[in-house]
Amino acid sequence: MSGVEEEENAAELKIGDEFLKAKCLMNCEVALILDRKYEQLQQMSDDPMNQVSQVFEKSLQYVKRFSRYKNPDAVRQVREILSRYQLAEFELCVLGNLCPETVEEAIAMVPSIKSRGRAHDDDAIEKMLSDLSLIKKFE
Amino acid sequence: MYLKTQLEWNVLISPENLDPRGLLLQRSIIIRLLEEFANRKATKDHGYFLSVTTLEKIGEGKIRPESGDVLFPVRYNCLTFKPFKGEVLKGVVDRIVKHGVFLICGPVGNVFLSVKTMPDYQYVHGENPTFMNNESSKIEKGGVVRFVVLGTKWVETEKEFQVLASLAGDFLGPVS
Repeated sequence: MSGVEEEENAAELKIGDEFLKAKCLMNCEVALILDRKYEQLQQMSDDPMNQVSQVFEKSLQYVKRFSRYKNPDAVRQVREILSRYQLAEFELCVLGNLCPETVEEAIAMVPSIKSRGRAHDDDAIEKMLSDLSLIKKFE
Repeated sequence: MYLKTQLEWNVLISPENLDPRGLLLQRSIIIRLLEEFANRKATKDHGYFLSVTTLEKIGEGKIRPESGDVLFPVRYNCLTFKPFKGEVLKGVVDRIVKHGVFLICGPVGNVFLSVKTMPDYQYVHGENPTFMNNESSKIEKGGVVRFVVLGTKWVETEKEFQVLASLAGDFLGPVS
């Protein structure tokens, strides 16, 4: 093996080109999709749990537990708000999943938002977090 | 991280499921695709296969002369889960041992948090062992822990990822 492969590291947003472009989903978005799928299966069979894989079951449990936003409108709003701030899909989803409360916490969770030469000053991050916190209140 | 990906797989349909009217054929293809999807479980590149979301295109079938089966290339969208090094995730504590904590994170049943990457936490032995730090922050079975992925390893024989976790960083540790 010649040359050095650039090591994968999400903290620096080094996750492979194909994943930078791939659509990343937040837990709350996945919860809505899997719930819908499960409902479809319930209509098609008497025992839907038999039809789904372990992976599906474990993921459904996980995303339902770790979704801060349950209402489909709220979920849409979260993505809409975060999309205003020049973020990579991956960064957007980690923020939507972890819901940091302060600028300091946001940077600790997604270190790459402070790097890559983008204009993400603390004020912009502060505004983003405060916009997000408004959604929670009216859920 | 949960990902929406587009994949193209070949689905093999046996002759008795081939209906010239096409409707039954599409249904057979979808059923075979879902079976194959569930069987594959996970790959190193895309992670764990969760669910097929939409069918994009069914290509022209190619007949296998020996069996009469027909191979259809199928393009579809699906949801997968893949752990990434450097990502901060939440996991649920499954088991506590002297040298660390085993966590479950979505479809990943194998996340290990070594005591070496739990700064200031000490093992507290007992019937229900826990880890505690100086500020009485406690890590116990069933609890939720925010961790950063230190590294991942794809195990081909088990078709799963092993994940190494760490609490070395701000805002990491047990959360309510």
